[in-house]
Amino acid sequence: MNLFRSEEHARAWASFNAEYPEGLRPLSFWLERFSAPLFRERARPDYISWWTRRET
Amino acid sequence: MAELELLDRVHAAIMERMVRTGQAPHYTELAAELGLAVEEARGLLHALVETGIPAWLHPGTDYIVSFPPFHNLPTQYRISVDGEQKWFAQCGFEALAARWLFPGKTVRVDAPCLDCGEPIALSFRDEAVLAVEPETVIGYTYSAVGGPPENRPWR
Repeated sequence: MNLFRSEEHARAWASFNAEYPEGLRPLSFWLERFSAPLFRERARPDYISWWTRRET
Repeated sequence: MAELELLDRVHAAIMERMVRTGQAPHYTELAAELGLAVEEARGLLHALVETGIPAWLHPGTDYIVSFPPFHNLPTQYRISVDGEQKWFAQCGFEALAARWLFPGKTVRVDAPCLDCGEPIALSFRDEAVLAVEPETVIGYTYSAVGGPPENRPWR
């Protein structure tokens, strides 16, 4: 789960997995994904209770 | 499972410490802060990690290694808040989520590219993406996000 300067750099990385191309996404995709409530709400005093309710 | 209310208190105490200092507390400190017996705090720390949140301890110990979005060991993802650098992100993606812990502040992510070692720099304030350098920055994981904790920081 890393950031690279460009797609070319990611594909040139020694650990690039050509069999998992769906792991290569634009920054905007990861920004949206990591803006979900799961990530935004971590400062809640009841985070575990809240997170557990969402998981069940 | 331990009572959720207690796990909430432990989670909140760890997160507050990491936001304030960039470092995770030891369980003895959690015990003192939360008015718990030392062994109770140690048990709650393990129970918290076992809930499935993407945090983990160093294997065979009671030491917090990762508590997302932060990492208690230095990683290549340095986080600065209003110009002060004292945090590290768990991974490149969690680096994008660190800003939610610092409302109203400018959060900057600095990291080297793992391919060439040249710098990547991102800046945020709340919802706003202030800067992305270079503009071609991309995110990559070589397996599904989540999964076993033993290799999460390296994927």
